[in-house]
Amino acid sequence: MSPIEDDDALIAAALNGSAFAWEKLVKRFEGRVYNLGLRLTGNPTDAMDLMQEVFIGVYRNLHRFRGDAKFSSWLFRIAHNKAVDMNRRKRLLMSKSKSATLEEGDVFETIPGVPRDEPENRLGEVQLNRQILGMLTRLPMDQRLVVELKVFQSLTFDEIAVMQEISENTAKTRFYTALKKLKDIAEEHHVLS
Amino acid sequence: MSCPKTDHLLQEYFADDLAPFAREEIEKHLATCAHCSEELGALMQTQSSLRQWQEQRVPHWDRRMNLFPAEGKPQSVIARFFSGLQWVPTAASFAMLAILLLNVSVVSGDQGFSIAFGAAAKNSLNLQAELAALQSQQQSEMQALIARVEDRLDSNNVRLLQAVMEQTQQTTSENFEQMYSYFEQQRLLDLQDMRVGYEQLVNSDYETIRSLQQLANFVSYEGSSR
Ligand SMILES: [Zn+2]
Repeated sequence: MSPIEDDDALIAAALNGSAFAWEKLVKRFEGRVYNLGLRLTGNPTDAMDLMQEVFIGVYRNLHRFRGDAKFSSWLFRIAHNKAVDMNRRKRLLMSKSKSATLEEGDVFETIPGVPRDEPENRLGEVQLNRQILGMLTRLPMDQRLVVELKVFQSLTFDEIAVMQEISENTAKTRFYTALKKLKDIAEEHHVLS
Repeated sequence: MSCPKTDHLLQEYFADDLAPFAREEIEKHLATCAHCSEELGALMQTQSSLRQWQEQRVPHWDRRMNLFPAEGKPQSVIARFFSGLQWVPTAASFAMLAILLLNVSVVSGDQGFSIAFGAAAKNSLNLQAELAALQSQQQSEMQALIARVEDRLDSNNVRLLQAVMEQTQQTTSENFEQMYSYFEQQRLLDLQDMRVGYEQLVNSDYETIRSLQQLANFVSYEGSSR
């Protein structure tokens, strides 16, 4: 790897005001952050908002990034916190607009990226994602986050515990509960179809 | 038919650091318990169906998000000079700007000032008049620039006071972040302002210098032809 390809070099250059280096750094991670956003929020608009908030947060805190941690772990910790913030804001907004109590999982609308009347052949892989989103969005946010971190970001329960400020055992239980719930949802759908 | 051990055993099965003997224990039970092994199969199936996720492409978006000052001329030396100064406090960069301005364009001496454009400096009456005009033009532009920067610094201070007062009532990390981003934004605006002012100044000077140089060449041509 040449020095300019290195995350650290790009960070240093971005800190020094290089917009070019910043764009390069963002391009390297935006796909992972956007897809995380899709899975956590269930729709492209919120995923886009979340991704932008994450990178603004990254930019503002870049000077605080210490080289001893991996940049990607640091970035995904910010992403995790922004997702929690965003969910909290949404809940607050919704509880203000509607006095009715909401089930936690309903905060983000389940609007998969493609309209329902899209021709079948164009869906293909997106169909799969829609099914996955349909399942994930039925989980409460704390469970959805554990699934995201465990299955998609491949974190250990120890790392998840640190990020969510819970015990490792709680992280394990939460993941298991979420997985069981997803399994039930999937079975429900298979029975229906 | 259900089994009282299912949840406990299967939760352990998904742990990161399952000890070999623990795994053996669980597998021993799974071999004899249809319910648990069925349940595990279904959970594994669920997990692997999640992993079928297809990465979706990021829609087009503005990665700079106005975090960086606009760069009309990305290759310009001035632009690079200023973008390199982003993290230098405003006061320091302003001082550097002043030094730069004074050094580059105007050299003040005992007899007023002169413009340095190499060895071509001439002492003709026309030139003196041109120089005097340039001097007053430059002074007023410089003063306007200073006034603009001072204005902003003043309002910064007022807002800083307000922010600090709010801060003492409610200290949250969010407040700090807001304050921090506010000052960062202001600083970038300051720099942008100064850069624009500086670029205008430099461009106008170069224009003037070029025409003065032509004038000087003309005068010397006139002189030698006479
Ligand atoms: Zn059993």
